[in-house]
Amino acid sequence: MKKINYGKIYTAPLTMWITFFFVIPTSIIFLYSFLKKKLRGGVLWEFSIDGYTALINQSFFKVVWFTVVISIFATFLTLLLAIPTSYFIARSKRKNLYLFLVIVPFWTNFLIRIFAWISILGNNGFLNNMLLSLGIIKSPLMLLYNQYAIIVVTVYTYLPYAILPLYSTIEKFDFSLLEAARDLGASKLQSLFKIFLPGIRSGIMTATIFTFIPALGSYAIPLLVGGQKSFMIGNLIARELKVTMNWPLASSMSVVLTVVTTIGIFIFLNTNKNKSELKNEN
Amino acid sequence: MKGSVVLINDINKSFGESRILNNVSLEIKKGEFFSLLGPSGCGKTTLLRIIAGFETPDSGDIKLDNTSIINLQPNERHVNTIFQNYALFPHLSVYENVAFPLRLQKKSEKIINEEVRKYLSMVKLEDHIKKMPSQLSGGQKQRVSIARALVLQPNVLLLDEPLSALDAKLRQHMLIELDSIHDQVGITFIFVTHDQQEALSVSDRVAVMHQGVVLQVGTPSQIYESPGNSFVADFIGETNFIEGTVVSVDDKMGVMNVDGIGKVNFYLDKPVKTGDFVRVTVRPEKIRITKEYPKIEGHPHTIVLNGIVDELIYTGFQTKFFVHLDSKVLFKVFKQHVKYFMDETPINWKDPVYIWWNPADGYLVEVEPR
Repeated sequence: MKKINYGKIYTAPLTMWITFFFVIPTSIIFLYSFLKKKLRGGVLWEFSIDGYTALINQSFFKVVWFTVVISIFATFLTLLLAIPTSYFIARSKRKNLYLFLVIVPFWTNFLIRIFAWISILGNNGFLNNMLLSLGIIKSPLMLLYNQYAIIVVTVYTYLPYAILPLYSTIEKFDFSLLEAARDLGASKLQSLFKIFLPGIRSGIMTATIFTFIPALGSYAIPLLVGGQKSFMIGNLIARELKVTMNWPLASSMSVVLTVVTTIGIFIFLNTNKNKSELKNEN
Repeated sequence: MKGSVVLINDINKSFGESRILNNVSLEIKKGEFFSLLGPSGCGKTTLLRIIAGFETPDSGDIKLDNTSIINLQPNERHVNTIFQNYALFPHLSVYENVAFPLRLQKKSEKIINEEVRKYLSMVKLEDHIKKMPSQLSGGQKQRVSIARALVLQPNVLLLDEPLSALDAKLRQHMLIELDSIHDQVGITFIFVTHDQQEALSVSDRVAVMHQGVVLQVGTPSQIYESPGNSFVADFIGETNFIEGTVVSVDDKMGVMNVDGIGKVNFYLDKPVKTGDFVRVTVRPEKIRITKEYPKIEGHPHTIVLNGIVDELIYTGFQTKFFVHLDSKVLFKVFKQHVKYFMDETPINWKDPVYIWWNPADGYLVEVEPR
C-alpha cells in the first residue's frame, strides 16, 4: 500500500498562505529592483541596475548607519529592561497576572499607542506639564521629534516581544545552579554573569532578534515621533515609493535591507550554534 | 586529619507560620561522616541549607572550628555542597565545571589542570573530561559534582540526598564510593538522607530528625538497637511494639500485662515502677518462628506464643511472616534463610506456628509513669 504523507496535506494551507503573501511579494520586489523606473511610479520592463547604483551615495549610508545605531541602542535597552522584568515574572507567584499585563498593550492599535506617546512626551504633554507644575523645569523640554523619542517608543513597542521569550527560558532555568555557583565561591554578580546569562542565552538571542529586526524596519515610529531629521531605512523606502516615485530604488533598498538582515541573523545564529556544537564534539 | 568541627547551636527557623527547625543543636566531630536522617519535611535539608548559607536561621549560631560563620555569604564559607539534582552547569564541559571554582580564585592554568585531573580521577571520570553534562549518566553527573565540590578542599562537605535520583544498584555502589572518598579526603561529611539504609551503612553517627527536632544522635547500632523513642524505632527498620502495664519489677527484669498476649517479660533498659505503662520494641528478625513447639534452653524468661501465618513474603535471603495470635494481635517475624531447602519443614500460609524471642533482644523504648 502506498504511504500517504499527511504532513504535506496538513501544512498545505500554511504553505499556500506563505506563498501568496510572502514569497510572491518578496519575489516581485526582487524583480522590480532590477527594472527601470516609470516616471510616475511603476516599472518599465527593461533590465537595469540603476536601482543599485543609486544606492552608492553618502546619504543612503548615513540613513543605514542611523538606522543600525538606533536599532542597536533600542535592542540593548529593551534587553536591559526585559531581562530583570522576565526574571521577576518567572519568580513571582502571580505569573499569569503579570504576563497578562505584558500582553494588554496588544489590544490597542499600534498607531494609537504611538499617539499616546506623543501626548505624553509632547511640549504640552503629560510629562512636561507635570515637571512644570512641580517646578523642576521652567520651560517645556523638547522630548519629542528626536532620535531619543524613537528609541523610547521602539523600546516600548518591542518590550513584550522580548519579555515573552525571555520569560519562557528563565522559567525553565534551574535556579539551584545559582546556589551551586555561590557555593563554589562566586559572588552574586559572578554567578549572574557566568551562570545565569549563559543559561538563558537562547532566550536572549530570540529577544534580540525579535527586537532588532523589526527596529531595523521601523517606519511608523520615526515618522510620527522622529521629526524631520530622523530618517530610517523604512522611511526612505516609503519616500522613494510614494514621493519620488522611484519604485526600482525603493525595491533595491528593500532587497538590501532583507539580504543584510538575513545574513546578519544567519551569522548571529551560527556563531552561537557552532560554539555549543564544538563543545559537544570535544 | 583535615576537616572541621561543626557546632550547630540552638537553630530556629520558620517559614511563615510553620516551624521548620526547633532549637536544633548538634556537635559534629572533625572528619566525621555524619548523617541527618528523617522523613521528608523534617527540616534536615533546611538545616543543611543553613550550614551552606542559602538560608538564614531566625536565631542560633553555626560554628566551624570555633568561628561563627552565620553572617558569612555562601561563597565565603569553607563548606561545599553536593546537590540532589547535581546542579552541573549545562553550558560548561566536565572539565570546566570542575575548574569553575578554581577559575573564580584566579588560579594559574597549570594548577587548574593538575587539580581538575586529580579530582576527576578520584571519582574515576578521567576519560570523560571533555564531555558536556548532557552526555553523562546520572551516576557520572553525581561524580562530577563530587569532584567539583572537593576541588576547593573544603573543611566540610554537605551532601543533600545525593543518591536519591539514582537507581537502587547504582545507589549502593555510589554509597561505597562516597565512603571511600571520605576516607581519602578525611574531611567532615554531613549527609542528608531519608533512607535509613544509606544512613546506617556509611555513617559514623546519625541524627534522627522529626518535625524540626533532633530526636536522637548516636552510632548506627545505637540508633537501631536502642532507639530513643518509638518514632525512631519505627522509622529505622521495621519493628513490633509490645505495650502494656507493668505488674512486677525485680532488679533486672520486669513483667508487663499485654492485651491479647498476657504476661511478657522485659529487661529494664530504663527505670520502671509497677503500674507504669511501658512500650517495648522487638525487631522482627529477632523473633524466632517454628511449626513445632520449641525447646528453649538457657532463657528462662522467654515466653512462647502461638499464632497463624496470615501472609508470607519470600525475599530470597529471608522470608517475612505476618503472624496473628488468637487474640488478633499481629507480629512481623523475619526468618533468615541459612539453608532454605534444608530448613525444617517449610512454613506456609495459614499454618499454625509458635513464635518467641529472648527478652534481652527487646528494647524498652518508652515508659509513661501512672
